[in-house]
Order: sequence, then structure tokens, then C-alpha cells
Amino acid sequence: MIDTSMYKDDPGYNIQELLDKPYDPELADREYNPDKPMAGRLTDQGPPHFEQFFPEVIKKNYGKWLTHEFLQSGVIKYTSETGDVMWVVRCATPRLVTTNLLREIADIADKFCEGCCRWTTRNSLEWHVTDEGTLKELIEFLNNLKHPGGSYKFPIGGTGAGITNIVHTQGWIHCHTPATDASGMVKSVMDDMFEYWNSHKLPAKLRISMACCLNMCGAVHCSDIALLGIHRKPPFVEDDRITGVCEVPLAIAACPTAAIKPATVELADGKKVKSVRVKNERCMFCGNCYTMCPAMPLADEEGDGVAILAGGKISNRITRPSFSKLIVPYIPNELPRFDSVCKIVRQIVEAYEKGANKYERLGDWATRVGWERFFEQCNLPFTDKSIDDYRLAYDTYHTTTQFKWSSHTDKMM
Amino acid sequence: MAVDKEELKEKIVEFATKKSKFKSKMYIKDLYKADPDAKPREVKNAANELVREGRLEFFSSGSTTMYGVPGFGKSEAQQFEGEE
Amino acid sequence: MADLKKHDTPLLNELKKGPFPSFVDDLETRANSGVQCCYDLLGQLELSYNHKETHWKHGGIVGVFGYGGGVIGRYSDAPKEFPSIAHFHTLRVNQPASKFYNSRFLRKLCDMWDHRGSGICNFHGSTGDMILIGTSTDQLEPTFYDLSHQFDMDLGGSGSNLRTPSCCMGKARCEFSCLDTQAITYDLTMTYQDELHRPAFPYKFKFKTSGCPNDCVAAIARACTSIIGTWRDNIRIDQKAVQAYIGGELKPNAGAFSDRDWGAFDIQKEVIDLCPTRCMWMDGNELKIDDRECTRCMHCINVMPSALRPGVDCGATILNGAKAPILEGAQMSTLIIPFMKMEYPYQEFKDYVELMWDWWMEEGKNRERLGELIQRQGLAHYIIDILGREPIPQHVREPRSNPYPFWKEEEVPGGWTRSLEDFRKRHAA
Ligand code: HEM
Ligand code: HEM
Ligand code: HEM
Ligand code: SF4
Ligand code: SF4
Ligand code: SF4
Ligand code: SF4
Repeated sequence: MIDTSMYKDDPGYNIQELLDKPYDPELADREYNPDKPMAGRLTDQGPPHFEQFFPEVIKKNYGKWLTHEFLQSGVIKYTSETGDVMWVVRCATPRLVTTNLLREIADIADKFCEGCCRWTTRNSLEWHVTDEGTLKELIEFLNNLKHPGGSYKFPIGGTGAGITNIVHTQGWIHCHTPATDASGMVKSVMDDMFEYWNSHKLPAKLRISMACCLNMCGAVHCSDIALLGIHRKPPFVEDDRITGVCEVPLAIAACPTAAIKPATVELADGKKVKSVRVKNERCMFCGNCYTMCPAMPLADEEGDGVAILAGGKISNRITRPSFSKLIVPYIPNELPRFDSVCKIVRQIVEAYEKGANKYERLGDWATRVGWERFFEQCNLPFTDKSIDDYRLAYDTYHTTTQFKWSSHTDKMM
Repeated sequence: MAVDKEELKEKIVEFATKKSKFKSKMYIKDLYKADPDAKPREVKNAANELVREGRLEFFSSGSTTMYGVPGFGKSEAQQFEGEE
Repeated sequence: MADLKKHDTPLLNELKKGPFPSFVDDLETRANSGVQCCYDLLGQLELSYNHKETHWKHGGIVGVFGYGGGVIGRYSDAPKEFPSIAHFHTLRVNQPASKFYNSRFLRKLCDMWDHRGSGICNFHGSTGDMILIGTSTDQLEPTFYDLSHQFDMDLGGSGSNLRTPSCCMGKARCEFSCLDTQAITYDLTMTYQDELHRPAFPYKFKFKTSGCPNDCVAAIARACTSIIGTWRDNIRIDQKAVQAYIGGELKPNAGAFSDRDWGAFDIQKEVIDLCPTRCMWMDGNELKIDDRECTRCMHCINVMPSALRPGVDCGATILNGAKAPILEGAQMSTLIIPFMKMEYPYQEFKDYVELMWDWWMEEGKNRERLGELIQRQGLAHYIIDILGREPIPQHVREPRSNPYPFWKEEEVPGGWTRSLEDFRKRHAA
């Protein structure tokens, strides 16, 4: 049991009674007055206390779990020192969900799990049950739930030595700087990798992450495989609109590499306006200028696409955490199903599956066999773009005479 | 020695208004210059109180929050809605 | 419902195929129940699939009145074709730590969001918040009013605020957890409400808490302050269970390798030889660990969870400074405090936070993350002068390889002012 008494005066300590009251759609319209925003206002409530959402078995066994076992991909059995047993079923979700789907989740929670459920850091959904009969029914129920187009609503898997759900960002669904789409790419890659989602046949865990521009809201930089949207063209400058819609000094200040300089330019009609010029060779294509200035759009059909990085990890297990490394610098956006991205991910995963030792993460395998061998075994070309020329580049130079002969050196002989 | 909050607030508004004529959005760090004797935390608290009073306003750059003086700079409507 | 307008989406329809859950089908199902903005969102996405370019514009809205974060402004650049998503702002809602929910909460949230917005969400955003995607400017205040009055809930952080802290599920489910991850996350979130809602810093700041070095929330890669559970005493060994693994009664790694034939479990090859510090051995039928040499990498415990458990004298290792690559390159958090007890009310931790924040607020440049400031002013300066801690070998992977430390005047006997006259008495010019 957790001691929560010190928090009992917090607004979110127990919101269950409040939740039992039906939602009142008119309350805010009745009580909130835009001219007096502070009247009746509640602020700094913070999040609800987590314990009230736990299933009973977790409240009782908090901190007392002894061990766990994966019965199959996506099904985990937990044993407590109190003798209690709990099963957890993990399912994928696409992260982008509607209230229609959330209501269905609430119904399943009521039907099988005392009304409770949990989301994981990687956007999967987890169900908790305490008897084997319910577990069987739940699994069967989930296996039969499909969308009209035939995809599973809640496919079971994502544990152990397989590929778990992809963490990703907004893409064209909701952001102004993406170089590619997130949801569609994740769907395409996971469809193709589905056999690894619901099995334990890889040498270790394999994490794929996706971010749709350099800002990397999805922090993909430490993933076994990272899919990253990249722009390759500097922004436009709309001279005839810029003074109308944005403040030039703000656009200049937004640029992290100081690539934007003020300039007075002459429009077609001879009028002189204060605008800006971009030093193209300094631009790192981050889109910050477009954030501050709608007259500097960045997106470009031909310039934009996807980079693939690999060999990073977060866990401290055996070897230290490490960054993903740039493997494929650019793949055009192929819509709707990102065929080349899927194909390259498969090449990497299959080479890893074949070559790595048990317990060896993708990056540890590549380090052991050597990156020259990695490129060879994944059947991917090595390009100049994988040689670092950004800050701290020297960290990746090869300061030893120890290297392997590979197809790359064979060609030179 | 702590700075008087009301005095600090006046200094911030004066400083921000002057600056706004050139650049209407500023970072919290810029506001430190309104009173070099004030501690960062004091400036932050004063600036946020000014926002509650409606004398300053927030602006989002996507990843950073900036301060502005209401009435200066491009309005949300000018930038993104009607435009032209 | 007669005036619902559905757009042709031949490209997106391809994304209904295949086994993985289709977001297109979900959005379309909702659209079919009479929600125009879902049709329009699909329509605009189809347009992006045709143009290979986004159709969103950024807006400067940050939050509700008095808050400097929690809302992201979005406008469509094709409002004539897709009028119902012309304004389509996002609200970030602070999730309960480790993301357990119940059906009462979910249903009421659905009722609210169907009424106030699009009914489209992210469960969850990459920092951990629930993300409510899509509403107009005039609904932002009422949505916040509903959240605070009808749910006792609040917005999460964005902008140069403290971002919503997040954590792994810790003791709720995981026997490896050395920390009450949720309790720490909840306490920090409540303690720092002002920093979370109102900009206080040069840039964003993140806390993330993982219960053990497996680091399931990626604290070491994503957080300015990574709080990662560890222990000071010995790994607890159940020798009977070790024998059960050796004998094959228990499955190695809790069955995580079950779909491939890796042969019989070999404790020497799979555990002892893979231990990065080679601090384990078999003494007859007994597994021995030289715990003083163990770096708590978790490998042996992961392989034999029924036989090995972390120690009982637990606390946190505190690391600082992870950030995404813009601008100075990506950084992972670096070890600062090897061990700190983490018990309510976390006073020692909060004292450390104050020292760190005061320094960053004073010295950090605009948009400079803590990790970049540490690099700019030096790790040693941060550890010794700011935090008042002793330098120890654990602070570096290896000692520097150049002999160019900047000596301070007070470190050299006699200081830097000296008599040229005396020097010249000894040395002719
Ligand atoms: C393909 C490349 C990358 C991807 C897909 C990626 C993905 C991610 C994801 C998903 C997060 C977590 C975000 C969250 O939940 O808060 C994250 C955070 C982070 N990433 Fe990356 N990342 C990538 C590259 C990098 C690189 C190159 C670096 C640094 C060199 C980096 C540094 C960080 C840091 C420091 C965080 C924590 C940042 C923060 O919380 O602000 N990432 N990344
Ligand atoms: C009982 C529950 C869990 C156990 C015992 C567990 C165990 C582990 C272990 C052993 C690793 C290291 C794997 C390796 O390096 O080979 C790991 C990594 C990881 N876990 Fe968990 N985990 C649990 C739950 C979760 C959950 C619920 C999530 C989130 C959804 C999660 C997310 C991760 C992630 C993202 C990593 C990979 C970090 C990396 O990239 O290296 N884990 N976990
Ligand atoms: C300079 C860097 C960054 C900029 C300019 C930036 C900008 C943005 C913008 C504009 C959005 C809104 C997307 C939308 O909903 O339409 C967003 C969302 C988000 N960003 Fe960032 N971002 C940056 C870096 C990061 C990093 C490094 C992280 C985390 C590691 C992060 C975490 C998030 C999260 C959690 C969201 C919420 C939506 C989601 O999860 O996709 N951002 N960011
Ligand atoms: S990664 Fe870039 S494009 Fe994607 S949501 Fe974040 S800021 Fe937007
Ligand atoms: S895209 Fe980024 S680097 Fe390029 S000009 Fe704009 S702000 Fe500067
Ligand atoms: S970080 Fe450690 S304690 Fe937390 S869930 Fe992962 S394995 Fe368990
Ligand atoms: S935790 Fe890691 S270092 Fe410690 S004994 Fe186990 S394998 Fe060795």
C-alpha cells in the first residue's frame, strides 16, 4: 500500500466523486465570463493523484511484486510476495485516437478489468486481470476486434525480444514544420514489421522511433532504428507579404544558426520594403523561422523526405546508452505507404536478426562486427553524409589501424 | 536585498514598452535588463503577475514562451486568420 | 447531418489495409457518426499526401489566461476547402503519473471533448501529456474551465516552462523498481506548479524518472534532470531459483526469447560472460557476485528475474543535461550525483533543484538548455561551484587527455602578481 495521506488536501487527490457527476456542457457558458477571467477561476490544480486509477490488485501489491513472465508476446504474468497473481495484456494503438475509440476502451475496461487500463510510454495500451478465465476471454475478445478496413483495433504484442510500438510525432496531421507524415509512416512500417510485433524471435528488443522534423519532438536519437523527417531546402521569403504578417526582427532572432539577415528589397512594382535574406549555406532546415513568420514557408515536395538512423539505445544493460547513427541520409516521401522506408527497415532488421548474438542490441551488434560489415550485411550503400561534419564531429573519426576488409575496400584494390 | 515588487513591475512595463517599438516579443532574459538588481526569480514573478493583470501577454514560438505588450506587434488575426 | 461533406481520400484508404490499427479507419468511423472536422482532417491530410507538404500554420497562442503554456495554436492553410478545421488548436492536459485511467474518467473526458472540440486526441504526446487535438480559439477558456471544475485537472507544460514530468510504472507493476517513481513525479509536479504553467526559464526544462537502469521512460535521453533508480547494497540472490534457471525449469529473461530456439540456457555464456564488469562467477552450485565491482547494469537481473533482485538500500542516480540535437548536438544526461535517497518530502533533491535552477536562470542564454550551459561553463564548475559537490572519478568516462586545465589564481601559491625585478635578479634579460 502507498502512503498518500500527505496529499489528501490536493485538488486532484480523489476526483472519483466528481467523475461520477455527468458532464455539464453548459457549466462554463453559465459561469465563465471572458471579461472577468479571474472570477471563479481554478488554477494550478495539477494532475489527479495516480493511485485512484490503479486496479485493486495493484493498490494491494504496490512495491511487492516478486517476478514476471512473458507467457506469449504481449501477455505478462506477475507474481507478488503476497501470493497474488496478475496478468497484463499489451496492445498497440496508433497514438492518434478518437473519442469513439476511447469509449470502446472504456467499455472493454468495464467488461474485463474493473474499469481500469493503462497506457505505456510507447503508446501501447495495457489491460490488467486477476484470473485466468477472464484473461482467455479478454484475449479472444481483443483478437476479434477489427476496424472496417480489416486492421486490428487492439493487436496483442510488443513485449520481449521483438519490436514494440513506435513512438512518433504529429506529422501532417497537426504540425507546421514536418518534412513527412508520422501516422502514415508508422502504420506502414508496423504493418510490414507486424511479425516482430507479436513474436519474441529477435536477438533482443528493437525500438523504432519516428520524428517528422529535426526538432525531434519524438526524441528518436537513442533508438535502435530512428525514422526522421528532413527538409533539404531553405525557406522561401515572400517579400510582398512579410511586412504585413510578421515582424522581421523576430524572424531573424528565431534562427539558431543566424542564417537570416535583414535586407531592403525592391518589389516588382518598384516599392522598397524591409525584408530578409537567408544565407542558404548556413541553413539547417529547422523551420523555426516559419514558426515566427508565416511568410517563410519551408515545406517542399522534392526537398523533403526521410532519413534513417540506427544503433542507438537507452537502457544501461551491458553497454552504455548510445546515440543512433545516420545510415541512410535521404529517402523521398513515397505515398501513401513509404515503400522504400519499409524496405530499408526490413533489410536492417533481417540482417540484425541473422547476425546478432542473443541479448545483443542492434548497435552492439554493429559495433562488434564493425560498421563496415553492418553496411555490407544490410546491403546499404555508405555515403559521404554519414561522415560527420557538424559539431563534435571528431568523436566519430576512426583513429586506429584496426578495421575490417569489406566490399568497400575490395573495390579499391 | 529584495526589490520592491510594484516598483519592479513598473520598470518592466516601461522597459518592455520601449523595446516593443523595435521588437514586440521578448524573452524573460531580456526583461532582466529592466532592473539589473532584481533576481531572475523576482523578475519572473513580477512579469507573470503583469500577465495576470493584462499589462503583458504571452506569445508562443512553438518551443519557447515570450512576453509582449498588448497592442504591439502583429496580432494573431493579422498573422494567421484574415491576413491580406 | 445532411450537410456533412466527405472528401475523396484514395491515398489514405490504402492506410486502412494491413494488420496494424488504422488511424484512418478510426477517424473515418468518427466522421461517419456525424463529425465534419474528422472528414476535413482526413481531406486535408489527403491533400498533404498529394502535395507532399504540410497544410498547417503555426499560431502564437500559448495558453489560457495567465498560463504561459499548455496550448499550441494551429491554423489550416486551406480553410476554404476545410472550414471546420480552419482553427484547430491543441491543449496539453497533465496526465496522472504512469498513465493509469479508469472508464469513468475516459467517458467523461470524451463527453467534454466531443462538446468542446474535435474528439481527436493523442494518448499521449511525447512528453507524456494527454493531447487534445483540435478546437477553436473561443473554446480554449471553456475547455480549461471544464477541466478544472468538472475534473479537477489541469494543463501540462509547453514553451519555456517546466514540462510535464513523467515516469515509468515503477512499483505499481515492476519488481525492479528502486524508486516510487509515480510518487516522485506527482510530488515534483505539484511542488513546481508555478514553473509548469508560467515561463521561468531560458528554455524548456524536463524531469523524468525511471525506477531502474533499464530506463523505460528514456530519462537519460530526454530529461534535463534524469532520476534513475539504483541501489547501494547487494543484489539479492535466491540460489534455489538460480538452479531452476540452470535446470531449465524457469525460462531465461522471463520468456522474452520464446519464439526462437537459442538452445539450452547456459548461465556461463548468457550471464556470467556478458556481465560487463565480469564480477560474477559460479562457486560450485552457488552464484557469487562481487557487488563492489558491479555497475548495476541490470543484465543478470533481467535474465533471471526470479532469482536476482536489486538490493534494498535504494535511491536515485541523478544525471543532468539531455537534449535534442538543436542546436549544439544531441546530448545524453551526464552523471552528477551518484546516489541520493528519494523519500518524501524529497528535501535534499529540491535543494539541489534550487541551486541548479538559480544558476541556469541567471547564466543561461535565451533558448539555451541546461545541458548546453553545463558544456559552455564547464562540468567541473557546475559540480563544484554551483552544486558544492566534490569532484569524483565517476563524473567522467575517462580523465581528459589534454593538459590544459584553466588554473585559477588562488590555486597557485603566491598568486599571479609577482615581481619582475626579483625575476630579473635571477635571470639576465
Ligand atoms: C532520429 C533521431 C531522433 C529521434 C527519432 C529522437 C526521438 C526522441 C524522442 C522520442 C524523445 C522523447 C521525447 C519526449 O518524450 O519528451 C527524444 C528526446 C530527446 N532526444 Fe532525441 N531523437 C533523435 C535524435 C536525437 C539526437 C541526435 C539527440 C542528441 C544528440 C537527441 C537528444 C534527445 C534529447 C536530449 C532528448 C530529451 C530532450 C528533451 O526532453 O527535450 N535526440 N528524442
Ligand atoms: C515489468 C515490466 C518491464 C520490465 C521488466 C522491463 C524490462 C526492461 C528491460 C530489461 C529493458 C532493457 C532491455 C535491453 O536493453 O535489452 C527495458 C528497456 C525498455 N523498456 Fe522496459 N520493462 C518493463 C516495462 C516497460 C514498459 C511498460 C515500457 C513502456 C511502454 C517499457 C519501455 C522500455 C523501453 C522504451 C526500453 C528500451 C530502452 C532502450 O531503448 O534501450 N518497459 N525494459
Ligand atoms: C527546437 C525544438 C522544438 C520545436 C521548435 C518544437 C516545436 C513543436 C511544435 C510546433 C509542436 C506542435 C505540434 C502540433 O501539435 O502541432 C510540438 C509538439 C511537441 N513537442 Fe516539440 N519542438 C521542439 C523540440 C521538442 C523536443 C526536443 C521534444 C521532446 C523531446 C518535444 C516534445 C514535444 C511534444 C511532447 C509535443 C506534443 C505533441 C507530440 O507529442 O507530438 N519538442 N513541438
Ligand atoms: S518533430 Fe517537428 S514537425 Fe514533428 S511535431 Fe515536432 S516540431 Fe512538428
Ligand atoms: S529553417 Fe532554421 S536554419 Fe534555416 S533559415 Fe529558418 S530558422 Fe534558420
Ligand atoms: S525503468 Fe526499470 S523499474 Fe521502471 S518499468 Fe522499466 S524495468 Fe521497471
Ligand atoms: S547487474 Fe550487470 S554488472 Fe552487476 S552483476 Fe549483473 S550483469 Fe554484472
